[in-house]
Amino acid sequence: MTLLRLLSRTKLYWGLLIICLIGALTSPHTSSGNNIFMSYANLTDVLRQVSITGLVATGMTLVILLGGIDLSVGSVMGFSTVICAMLLTKPGWTSASVMGVPAAVLVCAVAVALTARFIFAGLARSRDVGTGRRREIALSPRRSVGIPVLLGIIVATAVAWWTASQVPVKFGVLGVLLVAPCLALALGAINGLLIVSGRLQPFIVTLAMMVSALGIARLTAGQDNAVVPVYTGTNATEAFELLRSMLWGVLPVPSVFFLAAIILFGAILRFTTFGRYAYAIGGNVEAAKLSGIKVAQVQFTAYLLSGLLAGIAGVLFVAQYRQGKPDAGAGLELDAIAAVVIGGTSLMGGRGGLAGTFVGVLIFGLLSDILQLQNIDSNVQLLMKGLIIVCTVLVQEQNLGQLISRWRFSRSWEASVDPKTAESHRLPSAAKAQFAREDLDEAS
Amino acid sequence: MKRREFLKLSTTMAGAAMTVYIPAGWRPAKAAAKWKVGFSQCTTLEPWRVQFNKDIQAEAKNQPDVDLVITDGQDKTEKQVADCENLIVQQVNVLLISPKESAGLTGVVEKAIDAKIPVIVLDRNVETKRITQFIGGDNVAIGKAAGEHAVKLLGGPGKAAGNVVEIWGGMGTQPAHDRHDGFHAFTDKEPGIKNLLNNQSGDWKQDKAYNIMTTALRNNEKIDLVYGHNDPMAYGAYLAAKDAGRDKDIKFILGIDGLPDEGVTWVAKGQLTATFLYATPGAEGLRQAVKLLKGEKLQPVITLPTMLITKDNAPEILKKNGLL
Repeated sequence: MTLLRLLSRTKLYWGLLIICLIGALTSPHTSSGNNIFMSYANLTDVLRQVSITGLVATGMTLVILLGGIDLSVGSVMGFSTVICAMLLTKPGWTSASVMGVPAAVLVCAVAVALTARFIFAGLARSRDVGTGRRREIALSPRRSVGIPVLLGIIVATAVAWWTASQVPVKFGVLGVLLVAPCLALALGAINGLLIVSGRLQPFIVTLAMMVSALGIARLTAGQDNAVVPVYTGTNATEAFELLRSMLWGVLPVPSVFFLAAIILFGAILRFTTFGRYAYAIGGNVEAAKLSGIKVAQVQFTAYLLSGLLAGIAGVLFVAQYRQGKPDAGAGLELDAIAAVVIGGTSLMGGRGGLAGTFVGVLIFGLLSDILQLQNIDSNVQLLMKGLIIVCTVLVQEQNLGQLISRWRFSRSWEASVDPKTAESHRLPSAAKAQFAREDLDEAS
Repeated sequence: MKRREFLKLSTTMAGAAMTVYIPAGWRPAKAAAKWKVGFSQCTTLEPWRVQFNKDIQAEAKNQPDVDLVITDGQDKTEKQVADCENLIVQQVNVLLISPKESAGLTGVVEKAIDAKIPVIVLDRNVETKRITQFIGGDNVAIGKAAGEHAVKLLGGPGKAAGNVVEIWGGMGTQPAHDRHDGFHAFTDKEPGIKNLLNNQSGDWKQDKAYNIMTTALRNNEKIDLVYGHNDPMAYGAYLAAKDAGRDKDIKFILGIDGLPDEGVTWVAKGQLTATFLYATPGAEGLRQAVKLLKGEKLQPVITLPTMLITKDNAPEILKKNGLL
């Protein structure tokens, strides 16, 4: 029984193992007889290829755990690639679109201002804890559209122009690493604030951001640029080249970012109050609110991080493919959601985790790799990916054993259930009966 | 109260955004031109389409009598149909359209014809004979030119031998099939040429082609020629080969499109061996529209010629476009 439970709890890892086995068994061989799939180079390639989706999926996991969703990650990543490529190729941003720069600055300013306001609100709130009064964080125009916005605009403009006009390219690369993710974080902050303070549905807010971030990205790139290339007149130095190399010849650098994100946020989810709060909120928002968890702040942070990770993914995209383009992340949000769901995180929130997402991302990547090595037609690849999503989630959500037993052995299975389990199975109806009694009591 | 405050705040922000955009977006009214020409572009998210728009805008500057209105279909059929309907309502004198897909835009083209607006279809055709003119490149011919050049590079007719990697554009799109068929019309005659990949689609994108090529390199120790259905994919394949340290072994990487700041630049740098011009019908489209407005009769179909771009003529093209 324990063995069975252990098996069912670790079924995700078994899935990974099975995929690896299939890959190893079906893989073509090099002329010298080596298995291509199992070769170190191939496996690290897979790890590198999934890193961008993986980083985005990490942020997505946090958001989904809280019962939300972030549809804007693809566009936010596209925005980040454009900023990154512009910074690399056009120092000073003078040749950037006239409209793009103010747009970027405005976004940054609003985000900084709102973030500042939010933090102030958070500080103010903590004084109220004693009275036990629950207060939603409200945006007060009198206070928020004053000094913080002004400050925000000044800070954002300064940061953007300082970095963009950096003369030594060395700092420019550092600036790229900072500015592009920061601007992406700003977009994430806007998402979070609208959801938390505007009390809008995450789906709507992030959908709007998905559309508008694409717009901002295209404005920034300039109307004439569908692609911002990093190959002509580039300032990309060797420091930037490092971002697509192998770290000490062992691990591709993008995957280092991905692994670090998984480990860092995995640890945060497991060992910190933030993590515990995240699960509590995902499980039941009302209960979490009533138990004094600062729901708004936790939710805000999740969207903030999702934006940040998408921004970092954007920088890695530019390093890998030497181009920034507004639609670089088109469809990425769906890939990320698929990976998160395959990894066993419930779309309802409150259940799952980053270990699952890691495996989910790997399953997706390994599967593409196997299909590619088998040289299977692109259209068939799409079909097979769809099938694997459904199958994995089926195994995840329904206990496959139960599913089968319901089909074929339903009677014999029920008969063989031992009394103790049967007792626990009856619990829901017993509980229902109790609730019914309480209702009656209240009515009388 | 809170909601009202929130509303107020949003209004303030929208206002702030507008103050940024209005001065930048505002253009002084142009003196009324004689003719209004509407052009419905299907998307501007691809470099080739951007070049297309640049070409037609450049030509519009040479035509003082024409007021050109360009709409962007944002890669959605329904948006492009709405764009066209809008242009019909504006009573443009000529409607130029580069459809996203044939079937979905046939209806609105017929609607324009019914409204007595002549329609010139660019690049991709629609499924009606009632149009005024069709202008486009011939993808089969370009594919053939690429195939012929590939055979030449691999040893000449009858003797050509080598392993070829072909990276498809979008699998469901006609240009990809035409570029494939044209290429194979030549290479399939050569018994020495082996095709390594089975319908692998890079979806016209550099990053997807990069990943396909990475696997292809892993799978095959000898690759002689890469044929990308467009330049960015060919370049993505080149980058993958370069990152694997094998760009020197794979000598021949062919692309199609020949945009000045993409394919031609890469060819000039020696990263791609050759590319084939797939000219945009932008400038020609507007010239034909003006011809029509001046009362001349148009021939029903104009096929734009292709051109082989190699290291020899690439610098010349770059110079012409002010990139060198």
